[in-house]
Amino acid sequence: MNEAGKQFNIRDYLREYLFPHFLCPGCGHGIALRALLWAIDELDIDKDRLAFVSGIGCSGRLGAYIDANTFHVTHGRPLAFATGLKLARPDLEVIVITGDGDCLAIGGNHLIHACRRNLNITCMMLNNEVYGMTGGQVSPTTSSERYTTTTPYGNHEPVFDACALAEAAGAGMVGREITLQTPGLKDVLRQGLAHEGFSFIEVMSDCTEVFGRKNDLGSSAEMVLTQKASVRPDFLEDAVDQPFRPHQIKTGVLAKNDRPEYAESWRRHIEAMKRERGHA
Amino acid sequence: MQSALAMQPAESPVNVLIVGVGGQGVIMVSKVLATLCQRQGYQVKQSEVHGMAKRGGSVFSHVRFGETVYSPTIPLGEADVLVALEWAEGLRWLSYLKPESGIFIADTQQIVPPFACRDRKHGAGSGYARESVADVIAQVANCYAINAGQIAHELGNTKAGNTLLLGMMSTTLDFPADDWREAIRMFAPPKAIDINMQAFDRGRDWVETHNPADFDPGQGIEMPIPVEEVAHEVEFELPVINRAWCKRCDICVKFCPERCLSLDEQQIAVLHAPEMCTLCRICERLCPDFAIELKYRN
Repeated sequence: MNEAGKQFNIRDYLREYLFPHFLCPGCGHGIALRALLWAIDELDIDKDRLAFVSGIGCSGRLGAYIDANTFHVTHGRPLAFATGLKLARPDLEVIVITGDGDCLAIGGNHLIHACRRNLNITCMMLNNEVYGMTGGQVSPTTSSERYTTTTPYGNHEPVFDACALAEAAGAGMVGREITLQTPGLKDVLRQGLAHEGFSFIEVMSDCTEVFGRKNDLGSSAEMVLTQKASVRPDFLEDAVDQPFRPHQIKTGVLAKNDRPEYAESWRRHIEAMKRERGHA
Repeated sequence: MQSALAMQPAESPVNVLIVGVGGQGVIMVSKVLATLCQRQGYQVKQSEVHGMAKRGGSVFSHVRFGETVYSPTIPLGEADVLVALEWAEGLRWLSYLKPESGIFIADTQQIVPPFACRDRKHGAGSGYARESVADVIAQVANCYAINAGQIAHELGNTKAGNTLLLGMMSTTLDFPADDWREAIRMFAPPKAIDINMQAFDRGRDWVETHNPADFDPGQGIEMPIPVEEVAHEVEFELPVINRAWCKRCDICVKFCPERCLSLDEQQIAVLHAPEMCTLCRICERLCPDFAIELKYRN
């Protein structure tokens, strides 16, 4: 039930004729999509005001299943498209759905500049540690020693911490959550949608068929439980460290700042300058 | 109140059974009683189960005193006084009370154990003991039920509820009140001695001004609602599985807390035990294929 007292029915937001979707069995992306639509429903945003921009990859295909304005754009460029869209149409609620390769490798430059500008865009990055659609190549977030088709001896590259990057680049809100905590993920996404500024939310998804199989990580249920054991939610931040938990990946809302939103301040600046020079 | 001690033949010991939940002070009550009896020149034997405090578990202590005491434990149906610091624990040990002359002193406060909350259905009733105070009074000859925890809370410290019951118990044994107070002083924490003394006096006064079976329902307990009488507030219908969308990933089966989903011969999820389903919606939320749906009931 959302704020307007409307009952949430996920099918109101889906293009049902495209279902069943193309994702592999057990892929966490579907859960992330549900959480995103749930958050949108709770905020009661009109579907005509929604604009989803998605890139290439498994995550990029999610946009196609949403019954709203959707843009499926070139690899790595959804944030660039979204920037233009938001500047031209400030009335739209622009949401970017992107993957770890799309956002951090091919579109890495766009990410840091989107964070720097702080436009009112919500960016949901689905991190499954691999390029799943193209056959399982190594991505910037692949954990060390993991096998992929391009790292047959195990990945030796250091891992990108996308949230730390976004925070350092000046994103208005940074959050992270795992798919197993669907209500928590919904809450983080909801805060991101409501935030005036660039919100970057990393969703820890699981690629069972490609990444999990190659690394013998078990079924998707086992993969999400492993994720659950490796994270440290924000309400446990001050708790005593637990032994036998080597990974302490923080989840929840990690950073928030109230830097001015770019589109709004840019508009004001242009109008002031036009008046000053007598162009208007 | 009739004195338990006076009723006893000289050769058989007086049996006092103190029961409660971990952390309430069962052991403290029994220590006070045992020390006092020893000081009065009796042989005392005490036996207890403790260590449950952290888990809120059942704690009991047997105290036997007399000219000669052989066994430290009280046989079934032989307790002269049963002091219960928690209502359901008192009922659990009621069979140890002497059928005709036993005195039952109970705190009516309820500490509901997790075991009583097994039914996770929305709005489900509790599995806590259903006997009301009136039911117990009808069965036990001498029953004193008082909401000691509440009275002690009003005095300033809920923990003094055990001393209040000790005060009630002190009226059943022929020892001078000042000796009781001295024994309590030995075991109560120094800063809580005042409250313990007040609680002790309140307990003694209450017994002197009330008759057994003179229970005031107003200060009694709210009885739990039986499971079968609760009107379930069901907001949703049972999960419906869209077979065409299910991709056989097994997540719903693995994460169902009630184990009511399974995979059929085609490896598609089915709700095999709808009566077990608590409508928790975990399967709906975790289905990556949007194949499980719980519709609103209206």
